Amino acid sequence: MWTYILRRLLQAIPTLLVISFLIFSLLYITPGDPVELILGTEDGTVTEEQRAVVEEQWGLDKPFLIRYANFVLDACKGDLGTSYATNQDVFESIMVRMPSTLKLAGFSMLLALLISVPLGILAALKHNSVWDSLATALATIGVSLPKFWFGLVLMIVFALKLGWLPSTGSADLSQGLGTFLKYIIMPASSLALGMAATQTRMIRSSMLDVLNQDYVRYARSKGLRERVVIWGHALKNAMIPVITVIGGEIGGLLGGAVVTESIFSWPGVGRLAMNSISKRDYPMIQGITLTLCISYLLVNLLIDIVYAWVDPRIRLDRK
Amino acid sequence: MSEEKKTIDPQPKAASAGEIGLESLPVTTYWSDVFRRFCKNKIAVVGFVMLLIIVILCAGAPLFTKYDPVLDMDLANLLQPPGTEGHILGTDDLGRDIWCRLLYGGRTSVLTGLIVALVTAVVGVGIGLISGYFGGVVETLLMRFTDIMLSFPFLIVAIAIMAALGSSQRNIILALAIVGWPRFARLTRGQVLAVKQSEYVESARVAGFGNLRIILNHILPNCMGPIIIQATLAVGGAILSAASLTYLGLGADAAAPDWGIMLSQGRNYLQLAPYLTTIPGIAISVTVLAMNWIGDGLRDAFDPKMRK
Repeated sequence: MWTYILRRLLQAIPTLLVISFLIFSLLYITPGDPVELILGTEDGTVTEEQRAVVEEQWGLDKPFLIRYANFVLDACKGDLGTSYATNQDVFESIMVRMPSTLKLAGFSMLLALLISVPLGILAALKHNSVWDSLATALATIGVSLPKFWFGLVLMIVFALKLGWLPSTGSADLSQGLGTFLKYIIMPASSLALGMAATQTRMIRSSMLDVLNQDYVRYARSKGLRERVVIWGHALKNAMIPVITVIGGEIGGLLGGAVVTESIFSWPGVGRLAMNSISKRDYPMIQGITLTLCISYLLVNLLIDIVYAWVDPRIRLDRK
Repeated sequence: MSEEKKTIDPQPKAASAGEIGLESLPVTTYWSDVFRRFCKNKIAVVGFVMLLIIVILCAGAPLFTKYDPVLDMDLANLLQPPGTEGHILGTDDLGRDIWCRLLYGGRTSVLTGLIVALVTAVVGVGIGLISGYFGGVVETLLMRFTDIMLSFPFLIVAIAIMAALGSSQRNIILALAIVGWPRFARLTRGQVLAVKQSEYVESARVAGFGNLRIILNHILPNCMGPIIIQATLAVGGAILSAASLTYLGLGADAAAPDWGIMLSQGRNYLQLAPYLTTIPGIAISVTVLAMNWIGDGLRDAFDPKMRK
């Protein structure tokens, strides 16, 4: 197992080099003068001396590849540069906001599972019934709605019309579970919608597969109670492919968080990204993109490990 | 040559039935079979009809509204709710007719979705065909790159690309195409690997056909099913992603009619005029739903074994 983890981590290195190079060169070719952005003057009043000082200080006078190499070396040490706009350390700014984003993403995932697992199982058990059609229909509609629009509709109904929930902002668990839930439930629901829909479909079809397997038939025929068959035998195996789907959805979750956080003024990394884009704060945009990509890679590695742990038939070391 | 081609054709066409004197038998080709199964699927047909109506309404926008989406501002009737006289879906903050902007906006949104799906499909299928057919170093390099592209959260990368390229409709298409093609490449390569081994490809090669001809005439047609399904679903996905990017303020200029722009403008009037937000959102949802229903229907039609 450890060799597998090590190999996966080593495999991630070229991937990271490619993405960091893409992001770095993308923002390098972007029109706009970084010196003016740093000084906050965009009217062309920067003198040659000022320019020289700033370029030297920020390392902008070096050739492209040297700058990229420095960026990578610094990034390995946890230094993603300094924000053009606020002069703050990029890595620190991201890490301050990361817990908020993780909280939102984690809660959304939980919510999605709470909806999709029972619904998917119900649809499979009552195959071809009204429940089945209802779950399938809900799942299709769920993936067709724009997530952020669903969030806006929730806001209109529950915050503006009914006044039950605060329309924006966030709260910590330390402020009490009730307050925490009040703030997180709308952004989390809007993020969870698409995931719940995909997962419901997946769990339904995976469960249908498993229910037709011999061991389930055997368990039934030896007189085990239906409850034991479903929860003890079928569900465990049905969940295996679902784990992989969840891995893929983390990416959508991170992307969706950018939009959702902007709508609900959630103080996370996504909102920081949008603010940085409007200020053209390139080191920050670069740092956020890289951090989110790394998180995504790590989460997927973690999921592959869980996968092997849940399903002993998968022997990762031998691959 | 043509005689030879017929005998190795994977899906004997109607002509071959006639040639061997079986005119009386009903002619069923692979595609007509797919079409027949698609038409039997009620939900898929409903989706298709919905899409057809949307396309007709948007393409023929001037026929269904007397207003101009940008220039006609009814300043005496700002922020009127749906059902106002003269404005069936009401007016926005500048007094522009919402029904009219919805029709013209659909042109941008639906067209963006179609173009993105088309571009990603062409690029991805091309790369998939090349790497699957030729194999070797070409395949390793292309597929490694595809895997790398697939291992990133695509909306994040699209947002980063938009941040670099600047806001415009053209850049939205470009950004979504850059992040979208790898899925097609992976899918197509898998299909090619399966088809490449078949006897008709082997015999085409023995017959001395060139690589390009084998790829285009013998391999590609037999990979089309999954590609068409994926492309249909990609249209809906692209419409949703484009709306997200536009909502974030990364899209076309604010005056242009576009569903994403209408949504982001409605944001300021959530309390006063929630219909500014709900109406374009419903339009997006219905369009994407129609595309997804068609996609699901095609999936069942292409692969009868998968049917529920």
